[in-house]
Amino acid sequence: MSLRRTLGPVRSALATRKGALAGLWLALVVVVAVLAPLLTPYAYDIQSLPDAFRPPAATHWLGTDEFGRDLLTRIIYGARTSLSVSVVSIAVSVLAGMILGAAAGYFGGRLDQAVTVVVDLTWSFPEILVALILVAIIGPGVTGTMVAIGVAYLAQFTRLTRAQIMTIRSETYIEAARSLGASDGFILARHLLPNALGPVLIAGMLATGDAIILEATLGFFGLGAQPPLPSWGAMMSSGSGLLFKAPWIILFPGLAVATTVIAINLFGDALIHALDIKTRLREA
Amino acid sequence: MFARIRTSILAASVSAAALMTLPAAGQEATFVLSTNEVGIPNYNPVMAVNTNTAFSMIYDTLVAQDADLSFHPFLAESWDEAPDGMSWVFHLKPGVKFHNGKPLTAAVIAKWIELFRKSENSYMVDAVDRVEAVDDLTAKFVMKHPEPNLLFNLSSSFMGVPDPDAITEMGDNYGISEAVGTGPFKLESFTLGQETVLVRNDDYAWESPLSANKGPAKLERITFREMAEDSTAFLELKSGGVDALLSVPTDYIDQIKAEPTLALFSIPGQEVYYMPINVTREPFTDIKVRQAAALAINQKEILENVFGGHGAVANNFLISALPESKIDPSLDISYDPAKANALLDEAGWKMGADGVRAKDGKPLSVALWTQSDSIFRRLTEVVQAQLKAVGIDAKITTFDSSTIRDQYKAGEQQLAVRSYFWNNADIVDWFFGGDRLGYPNISMFNDPKAEELRDKAMKGSKTQDERVQNFTAYHAYVTSQFPYAPIYQPEQNMAYNKDRLVMPDRIHGTSVTGVDMVDVSVKE
Repeated sequence: MSLRRTLGPVRSALATRKGALAGLWLALVVVVAVLAPLLTPYAYDIQSLPDAFRPPAATHWLGTDEFGRDLLTRIIYGARTSLSVSVVSIAVSVLAGMILGAAAGYFGGRLDQAVTVVVDLTWSFPEILVALILVAIIGPGVTGTMVAIGVAYLAQFTRLTRAQIMTIRSETYIEAARSLGASDGFILARHLLPNALGPVLIAGMLATGDAIILEATLGFFGLGAQPPLPSWGAMMSSGSGLLFKAPWIILFPGLAVATTVIAINLFGDALIHALDIKTRLREA
Repeated sequence: MFARIRTSILAASVSAAALMTLPAAGQEATFVLSTNEVGIPNYNPVMAVNTNTAFSMIYDTLVAQDADLSFHPFLAESWDEAPDGMSWVFHLKPGVKFHNGKPLTAAVIAKWIELFRKSENSYMVDAVDRVEAVDDLTAKFVMKHPEPNLLFNLSSSFMGVPDPDAITEMGDNYGISEAVGTGPFKLESFTLGQETVLVRNDDYAWESPLSANKGPAKLERITFREMAEDSTAFLELKSGGVDALLSVPTDYIDQIKAEPTLALFSIPGQEVYYMPINVTREPFTDIKVRQAAALAINQKEILENVFGGHGAVANNFLISALPESKIDPSLDISYDPAKANALLDEAGWKMGADGVRAKDGKPLSVALWTQSDSIFRRLTEVVQAQLKAVGIDAKITTFDSSTIRDQYKAGEQQLAVRSYFWNNADIVDWFFGGDRLGYPNISMFNDPKAEELRDKAMKGSKTQDERVQNFTAYHAYVTSQFPYAPIYQPEQNMAYNKDRLVMPDRIHGTSVTGVDMVDVSVKE
């Protein structure tokens, strides 16, 4: 059921021009990330120092980096890192946030207070700060980044779900269901969560864009995926020191981050429009 | 999200406006500190763990050291060492006054040396039993044992002479709002992590003979700015926002040479890049594996490709300018992949199909630590690839440069890539002394024979020649145990705006110090 609810708006989002463009770009990035080994003749990790700093040319379309590795190959494999880290961390965050938020919003009382206090505490820090602290504790790397990003956005989804549940909870049809003897679990699963799903999914989609930036930021500080695994942020970071010598090293990964994040946001905007849930998002 | 883009555009234009603030006219200059000198907490030389260039502007030393490592008078006009090395007499220059007007006397020196015993660097005065004030201008250092390295210690930036009473009175506030030395410049203001402003000491008349200028400095005011990013510093220099960079990464050398208004100059380096190997962690408890890892490092490839051929390869732990670096050439460590592979085979690590060696089903996989500065990250990736070439799978972990020392203290590291900056053989004692495990002894090296040689080198040398001999033996033995792999020795490159600054023909001292700064002037 929820699938039908989601797919319908996706179709109408794709019907708009910016939605279609953004959707196309995202689909391309996903396909490229999945098919990475088939798309490029180069390995992302084999260094060839004498070939370092080659500008874009026929053999290396986007040039080579400071280790003589093909930049396009690195960006393609970097898409894997960026997408997997951001999608997995946001998915886990959405799931955990919905469970926490639904429980807090539905049952209220002490549980609600406890969840709200913890969530508000992390909410009061910028996401990057929460993520940096967590990476410092867990240690750098892909797993650390995923956990850090997931926790950093948890507050947002918990609050959103809780607010949705609280508004729907007192509707007459819920009261009716309860008077007919429906259990808490049934009411949550059948009536409350499906109704709260739309806004949370949109928020999750938009947060994925932010998560890509956050992953790039952690990578920029050297705290994300560890070399030789490519990450757009880490590539930009090493390129920043070589801005004058080899500007392509920072330029192309930067473009990849920018276009992907803009595409996610445009697509999210189109979805919001299609779902007509702007007011509900704003309320939350 | 578009609102966010707008904010960052706004932020960018604000910082662009900040870039356009022009340096004030007159004898005023702005220098950018070297990136490895960024972030000192105060200007208290007694408590400092690191110093920066501005220390030597505020504080003079008793003895000055030149680029050729020779010693020259400074606050001490002359000195005599007793034939048995058990005492040194320093004759102070008359008329020297601190920034607060107090005269420099032998009693002040005695008090300062006692204060220095609380320092992190107290080892520098360990050999000194006490300082006696023979008269106002004669200080006698009575020694516990001969210390031929005393002159070096007294010329180091940590041993700039402060007013010890000012430090005691001000406590933790000392060196932040106020710092009292005898140097050619006085501290006007210090903003942590950003800038230090110094003004000329108009009473200054006790310059070292190494300085050409006599009397007060030519510059009236110097601003030292701290910039963590080399690219920002380069842009500032190019646009005229600053007048000089005290260190230039090799990646920028060609661009600086191409700028008609900029001049580049180099002095011999004092830095060594190396890879500590933790001898207490598997698989590096086996000396064969340590030697193999050390021999896998291709120093020449790194010099040519990472550092553009500027500087020199390192084959042991010390900079080549030091006589103690001349150990038996057969002990020097240089790239030998065939031998590295043979050693690993011998040690039982067999090459697997995936290019990673394994022993008893366990892969040869190790942790390689590095710090977040871009040059270390880049160098570490090359080291990783070079280790992989002999079948060692090194997994990089990047730590923030400011916290990595604390990480080392726990002793969990296996391999790391780092550098040190020092021009005395006692650095071997600092990084491999058995009582400093974790940090500075990142290699966790604690070997009875090394400790014996160390003790002899640190305390048992009566003359400089003997000290060189003892330290050479200590350095050679440590190297033969492979607790590290040497990588690279940079040269120090500096750049300045030649339309603005007049620099001395030759840099005296082992880096740009107050001795040189009194000769710098602005073109008018």
